[in-house]
Amino acid sequence: MPKLTIDEKEIEFKQGQTIIEAGKDNGIEIPHFCWHPKLSISGNCRVCLVEVEKMPKLVIACSTLASDGMVVHTQSEKTIKARNAVMEFFLINHPLDCPICDEAGECKLQDYAYSHGVGESRFDEEKVHKRKRVELGPRIMFDAERCISCSRCIRFSDEIAKENQLTFVKRGDRVTITTFPGESFDNPYTLNTVDICPVGALTSLDWRFKTRVWETSSTESVCIGCSRGCNTEIWVRNNKILRLTPRQNEEVNETWMCDHGRLNTFKFVNEEDRVDGPHLNKNGELVKVEWNEAYSTAFKKLKEFKPGEIAFIGSAYATNEDNYALVKFAKSLGVTNIDFLRHTIPGDQDDILIREDKTPNTVGALLMGVKPLAGGNGSKQIIELIRSNKIKALYVMEDDLIGDDSEMEKLLSKLNLLIVHASNFNKTAQLAHVVFPASTYAEKHGTFVNFQNRIQRIKPAVATEEMDRTLDGMSQSRWDKFGSKYDRWMQGKKFDANPSWKIISRLSGQSNQQLKYDTADDVFEDIAKSVTELKSLDLDDLGNQGVELGSQKVGSAKTVNSELS
Amino acid sequence: MPDKKRKKDLTFAQKLYLPEIFKGLALTFKSMLKPSVTMEYPEVKFVPPAAYRGRPVLVEEKDGTERCVACGLCSRVCPALAIEVQPEETELEKERYPKLFEINMIRCIFCGFCEEVCPEEAIVMSKDYELVFTSREDAIYGKDKLLVPVDQLKDRLEFLRNFK
Amino acid sequence: MSILEIIIITFVKILFIITAMLLTVSYSVYFERRISAWIQTRLGPNRVGWEGILQPFADVFKLLLKEDIVPEKSNKPLHTLAPFIALFVAFSTYAVIPMGPEVTIFGYKVNLVVADVNIGILYVLALTSLGVYGITFAGWSSGSKYSLLGGVRASAQMISYEVSMGFSIAGVVMMASSLSPVAIVNSQYGWMWNAIVQPIGFITFVISAFAETNRLPFDLPEAEPELVGGYHTEYSSMKFASFFLAEYANMIIASAMIVTLYLGGWQVPYIDKLGLGETLTTLIQVGAFFAKIGALIFFFIWVRWSIPRFRYDQLMNIGWKVMFPLSLLNVVWVAVVLMIFN
Ligand code: SF4
Ligand code: SF4
Ligand code: SF4
Ligand code: SF4
Repeated sequence: MPKLTIDEKEIEFKQGQTIIEAGKDNGIEIPHFCWHPKLSISGNCRVCLVEVEKMPKLVIACSTLASDGMVVHTQSEKTIKARNAVMEFFLINHPLDCPICDEAGECKLQDYAYSHGVGESRFDEEKVHKRKRVELGPRIMFDAERCISCSRCIRFSDEIAKENQLTFVKRGDRVTITTFPGESFDNPYTLNTVDICPVGALTSLDWRFKTRVWETSSTESVCIGCSRGCNTEIWVRNNKILRLTPRQNEEVNETWMCDHGRLNTFKFVNEEDRVDGPHLNKNGELVKVEWNEAYSTAFKKLKEFKPGEIAFIGSAYATNEDNYALVKFAKSLGVTNIDFLRHTIPGDQDDILIREDKTPNTVGALLMGVKPLAGGNGSKQIIELIRSNKIKALYVMEDDLIGDDSEMEKLLSKLNLLIVHASNFNKTAQLAHVVFPASTYAEKHGTFVNFQNRIQRIKPAVATEEMDRTLDGMSQSRWDKFGSKYDRWMQGKKFDANPSWKIISRLSGQSNQQLKYDTADDVFEDIAKSVTELKSLDLDDLGNQGVELGSQKVGSAKTVNSELS
Repeated sequence: MPDKKRKKDLTFAQKLYLPEIFKGLALTFKSMLKPSVTMEYPEVKFVPPAAYRGRPVLVEEKDGTERCVACGLCSRVCPALAIEVQPEETELEKERYPKLFEINMIRCIFCGFCEEVCPEEAIVMSKDYELVFTSREDAIYGKDKLLVPVDQLKDRLEFLRNFK
Repeated sequence: MSILEIIIITFVKILFIITAMLLTVSYSVYFERRISAWIQTRLGPNRVGWEGILQPFADVFKLLLKEDIVPEKSNKPLHTLAPFIALFVAFSTYAVIPMGPEVTIFGYKVNLVVADVNIGILYVLALTSLGVYGITFAGWSSGSKYSLLGGVRASAQMISYEVSMGFSIAGVVMMASSLSPVAIVNSQYGWMWNAIVQPIGFITFVISAFAETNRLPFDLPEAEPELVGGYHTEYSSMKFASFFLAEYANMIIASAMIVTLYLGGWQVPYIDKLGLGETLTTLIQVGAFFAKIGALIFFFIWVRWSIPRFRYDQLMNIGWKVMFPLSLLNVVWVAVVLMIFN
């Protein structure tokens, strides 16, 4: 392998790499704004200037190819002076907006001004003024003054989202970003530009002015918007989710996620219609009851039916652990009618990230055995059997069978017993005789298997009533760490909900065949014993990148520290 | 035990102690005749100088809006975690304002860091030292109690310009 | 005079003394607070009544209403007894202090002293030595190390200083050739005050008096910075108040003793030469007695707020190596004076 020297350190590189890439692979960070590992090289910010021996002038590290024997200096006097000068140029017209800017705290310009700037301005003239609130698209606000014209957003929409929607207009200090006339910046991936914009020029309308980043905690998770299962981070303040951001996983989503997943997969967690505590239908009305009452009632009623009269519906929204526990419970009752529903939108798919299957765990549900057992019926027949009064009791876990289907609604109201695990009061839950409050994906440990057969792990970001951020090892913001119960910022709503596997395990305690699970790890251990595809896996061995099933070896798990920009 | 060597040998008069004792008595007697410095509090109130750090307050501009832009720096710097700020967007030029601004006066230690860090001179230490509450809830001061018209804070703002 | 009359008169005198004592004690607390405030250019208590004149009553009510806490590890009977010993001793000493000459009220000849005992001085000495029991008991019975240390210090200190006190008094007794306080007062006619005749004895007595009353600079038994509160650390409510009252009563008695023994008692020099009439003269004399006591109380307070506390070794050194020889010297001096003038 060819070698080059950066700052007295000899490193190897692959032919064709630029200096900045070679440095990055070896832990040498060369400052950059416009360069992004996933985008083409533009070379306009000039902050990556480095000194290369035998070259007459400083060169930009992002577009200069590394060559064998090259000697590069990133900390020489010349480089530092040049970098200082570049920073000074940027700051001449950049507004002093940090106090009101949402980027503050995770802003590259702020960081570099601190680490590479001179700390003083020699500019006493009036700064250039541009429009500060431009709605570029339905989800994005653009502040023209803050833009440093790095062109990352333009290149992203052109190269990654494959929709050329943005461009520079005007020149010199009047240069600004705009959409083409009559167009809106509305492709399904626009919010990624908010992440990669090195400054606060592009802000998400959804997250804008909600909080400061340093007041939140972040937890590694997986998006439930479709069967790709983009790796995400959940940002929480006061036990409330405020945003999702993508997390790097080269095998799944690189560093991107779609706008739908980012905006529509977390709001239900803190929604008003959450099921808070178990409910029983008493005289036509759902009333909140104690857990024990709900368990005993549910089990007693379930026992009133013959196994053939009962059907179980699992869910591709639920984790493997939940589905596994459900199947095991059904078997213990002798029930064979078991299946789950598919939620696909045919045609809603692209070759970037978005998949037709809108659930995160279809493969997992199948692996866990959520399918008709010998002699049992699948979902279509189950519906038919309900129509003909052959199936009288239905146990639904974390799915809404009704949705907008009014015929289903009529059908389900015929049932003698409907037990539902639900996180929110959807139409199915409203018809139920027993409603168990299910934790959402943001409130539990567990695993999903995406369409690539990759098993990935989720962790709780929001605490339920039985959980405690400190005791349960959840990520904590500074407020969480030092607050007391008398501080308002500690009084965020905690719902009285539990993961489905836990509910099932406690419900099974009513019979003599209890499923003895205390943690999601216990369930997973059981799964790893009985499901061949998951042999020899341990929940803690999945890393934060997941493992492709079938390819697992001991120690194949990886943990990557995301570096988006 | 050997006698400790004294740094200084005392004279006979000093050894007697009595002269010194009488000097002391004379001194206290003199101060007995001096006027008292006590202020009789509820009737006579101490008006602190501008350098005084009373409870932190928010500056209210002449048009009735708060100067604060809800940047949250005061909240971040506060060593006692006394401040909670919830920002929101506004149509005003400053774009951002505090929808909720609360200082927990039980937590506050009157260090003045919030004032020092504020980029907008929007939170300043006032001269108000009369803080009375009878419950934890009452001790959390919201915008209603925190906002003080800028005219009443001239002293402090001037002091900050000169000495900060 | 019949026995009954004597009993009634004595009873009235006792009542008068006790009321007067209680009042003066409470007010000396008040004055202590006011004077200390002035010394520190403060105001002191001035809210209850005109210039705070009712403050003592407020204090008493406060103390009465407080919870009486008896530590679990204490010796309960002794713990309860101790403050009463202290108070009893302090108050009964007063019986032998003459406040004025013999007067005639409603046709009765009345001596302005509860009991004109011919060995009054011995009586006083005996009772003050008893007083140390109150403090020692309090310290020992509380079951607290601070209290115990306070109690031990008190007894050591009292014994040490009682010696020089006794020798100082010996000088006075020699002068008057009597142990009766009344006789001693009478012996100081004109300017023949013992303070002038035997200044060394006067000084040693005053200093010993400070030590005996546990007042600064000799308040080691209660020294707050070292012993929390010393022997009364574990006392609260009225029991604490009893110690408090006893301390101030002791201070008044010490003042009265100093006045009686050294400052001519109720005597005003040569007042009988002015021919003012008997009633007026008596009134002036009684007034002079109280005025002298008042001045001494002020002196006690003044000293307390001017001089810092001694160290314990200093206290013992002064007691045995300075005060004791000085008081002996005084006895010799008086003897010489007597020899020359007789
Ligand atoms: S973009 Fe960065 S430097 Fe510019 S105002 Fe926002 S936080 Fe400050
Ligand atoms: S909006 Fe942001 S990403 Fe786009 S050019 Fe400006 S600074 Fe770069
Ligand atoms: S004065 Fe100090 S403790 Fe009080 S609110 Fe300000 S920063 Fe916090
Ligand atoms: S630092 Fe100033 S501007 Fe920022 S939130 Fe606090 S008071 Fe408002």
